[in-house]
Amino acid sequence: MAEKFMENRISETRDVIIVGGGHNGLVAAFYLAKTGFKPLVLERRAQVGGAATTEEFHPGFRCSTLAHNTGPLRADIVRDMQLESHGLKLTSPDISTVSLLPDGRALVLYTDAKRAAQEIAQWSQKDATSYADFGTALGKIGKVIGEALTLTPPNIDNPSSVDLWGMLKTGRSIRNLGKTDLYRVLRWGPMAAADLVSEFFDTEPLRATIAARGIFGTFLGPWSAGSALVLMLRAAADPSPAGSVQFPAGGAGSITLAMAAAAKQAGAEIRTGADIAEIRVKDGIATGVVLTSGEEISARAVVSNADPKRTLMRLVDPSHLAPDFLQKIRNYRCVGTVAKINLALSALPEFTALKTKGNGNLLQGRIQISPEIDYLERAFDESKYGNFSRYPYIEITFPSLSDPALAPPGRHVMSIYMQYAPYTLKNSDWESQRTALGETVVKTIAQYAPNLPQTILRHQIITPRDLEETYGLTGGHIFHGELALDQFFTMRPLLDWARYRTPVDRLYLCGSGTHPGTGLTGGSGANAAREIVKALRK
Amino acid sequence: MLGNGDEIYAKVVSSSVDPRLTFTKMIEPGNLPDEFMEGVKRYKFRGSSGKVNMALDGLPNFKWMPGIGAHLRGAMSISPSVEYMEKAYDEAKYGHWSSRPYIDMVIPTLTDTSLAPPGKHILSCFVQYAPYKLAPGLDWDTEKEKFGDNVVNAIAEYAPNIKDIILHRQVVTPLDLEREWGLTEGNIFQGELSLEQLFFLRPVAGWAQFRSPIKNLYMCGSATHPGGGIMGAPGRLAALEILKDGKAA
Repeated sequence: MAEKFMENRISETRDVIIVGGGHNGLVAAFYLAKTGFKPLVLERRAQVGGAATTEEFHPGFRCSTLAHNTGPLRADIVRDMQLESHGLKLTSPDISTVSLLPDGRALVLYTDAKRAAQEIAQWSQKDATSYADFGTALGKIGKVIGEALTLTPPNIDNPSSVDLWGMLKTGRSIRNLGKTDLYRVLRWGPMAAADLVSEFFDTEPLRATIAARGIFGTFLGPWSAGSALVLMLRAAADPSPAGSVQFPAGGAGSITLAMAAAAKQAGAEIRTGADIAEIRVKDGIATGVVLTSGEEISARAVVSNADPKRTLMRLVDPSHLAPDFLQKIRNYRCVGTVAKINLALSALPEFTALKTKGNGNLLQGRIQISPEIDYLERAFDESKYGNFSRYPYIEITFPSLSDPALAPPGRHVMSIYMQYAPYTLKNSDWESQRTALGETVVKTIAQYAPNLPQTILRHQIITPRDLEETYGLTGGHIFHGELALDQFFTMRPLLDWARYRTPVDRLYLCGSGTHPGTGLTGGSGANAAREIVKALRK
Repeated sequence: MLGNGDEIYAKVVSSSVDPRLTFTKMIEPGNLPDEFMEGVKRYKFRGSSGKVNMALDGLPNFKWMPGIGAHLRGAMSISPSVEYMEKAYDEAKYGHWSSRPYIDMVIPTLTDTSLAPPGKHILSCFVQYAPYKLAPGLDWDTEKEKFGDNVVNAIAEYAPNIKDIILHRQVVTPLDLEREWGLTEGNIFQGELSLEQLFFLRPVAGWAQFRSPIKNLYMCGSATHPGGGIMGAPGRLAALEILKDGKAA
């Protein structure tokens, strides 16, 4: 193998190579280029975007292949990259969430707080008041958490003056919250989302619909300790209790296309179809990459947008890493639970619960199947033992409603997150379960929209195994590793290695497996770029 | 004031019972700040364990380690796999006692023969899960003996002779723990030992220093830091705080 590589001449020496053109890689490329570096982004697939792409899966039908909603994107990143002038157009429908119930009712949550309260008041006057209170508390706490998410986690052994200043500022912000919210910050994180929502609400579907935010993308049920932390992290940039919706025209791929355009304009170069076989390390220093084509590109530094396990256990030869470090990275929890199903439809399905309220309008936001806490918990129970949920938690959007150009006239695309689909199946494998998974999802939704099966022209079923193989997400984990207290902030991905550096000199991480790593926000890429610039300028 | 009407006056009252009993049952309502009372109301108990004690005519004979030996003197645990325990927990989440429970057993008569007549023994079984709040339609008084039978059956899988040597069985449900021992919702630690109810958050944020909003009323039970388990630490720490406040005679 080594000999084969030796034959290939080293084609060029680059400044900084970025492994992977996902959203964080592109954000990092932009900031590095902006500060005068010449980053080269190498993307394995034919298009950039990673988990934020739009692809045609049936002639004339394009869908947000994986992510279908923004994180939301961090406002300063949208501004710095001028994403809007690079073609990003976000729309926010009035409706955030429609939660469907098996008895034919639906709980509708509007983005506007007042309208939301009016709607909730039909279920419970008390909950309508609590909803506003909860939103306010999430807003106040979220602002403080949001500040911490923009920080580089401090060096615990030897904090620098910048670290101390950051901690002091966060500490002061937390204190300034006042006693009530200060106690909430301390108390809520380790709680179960189910307990947290029960402290505020009596209406079961409202509880479950909000708690679902705490389980999304994780190996947690609503009764799992720490699911409230996930809810809080997701609320940091978006305090609307059930989460707001922001759809990019053209699907999720238009976010990363705009990012790629911004990065290029700033001076970054992007190459697609460039599959990296190995990150070259010499004497503990990253010296470049080798592509599967055999081409070698050397560089002053390598920044990996791939997840920590892929980067440090597969792309880097493990012999360059200390055994105790390898042991820790092996224990990094990165087991996915989400599957994605995209449907090409001949028409919008008719949801029983929405008949009297006007089907089309109410489908603008997110449609959830999360009728009660126990429903979600039971869905989780099955996944613990290696089975996918027979009655899954489901989140649906219709990207073609916010952008009709995604489907032929009058037709639609339906984007569905399904949870739980555990990466490892017991006594089975995903290839043989693919059809069964699709059937389960369609059957589940058909209980709420009976004509759905008749409108389906094409299924695209993306299992956790596909997430790993096609999109490079180790373990099929959409967040590049479980979001949990023990893998968060100063411990993401590992304690002592939360500052975007790795034990290999001049090899950095910039993906979701680094702080804050909370979805499609760009936070990890921007934070990483700041640290990399500092390190490389030394 | 005692149940019999006796009144006893004191400079200091230190409550070793949990905050729900102390502040909602033993103190007239309206004497405490709302925020504190909200914290007390929110404080989670949710007992999840029961106890089955058996008087035995001999010793259990375990299939995989037959005979009488040192192994009977320590703790014996039925927890064959993580999945076994997780499944036991799953049932409890929906209000059912575990059909295949986690059981922790000891035979105290092997270390202190005076606890039973000569040749007889006691088997003390800690059983999980036994959720205090059962699913709708179930109650502990009717479930009690079924729960006990299930524990015996579970042990019999490992020690088949158990059924033949039981002289008497005492089943203690979470409801019994509450009624007989004053443990609210049958939680043996006077409240869940979860991160959001520990250290400076036990039992209520801002009231973790053994004092209460009422002057001269202190807390010293397992519902205070560092929590449950027979170690005496909350009592000692509370006493130190009381002394610090100059309450010693």
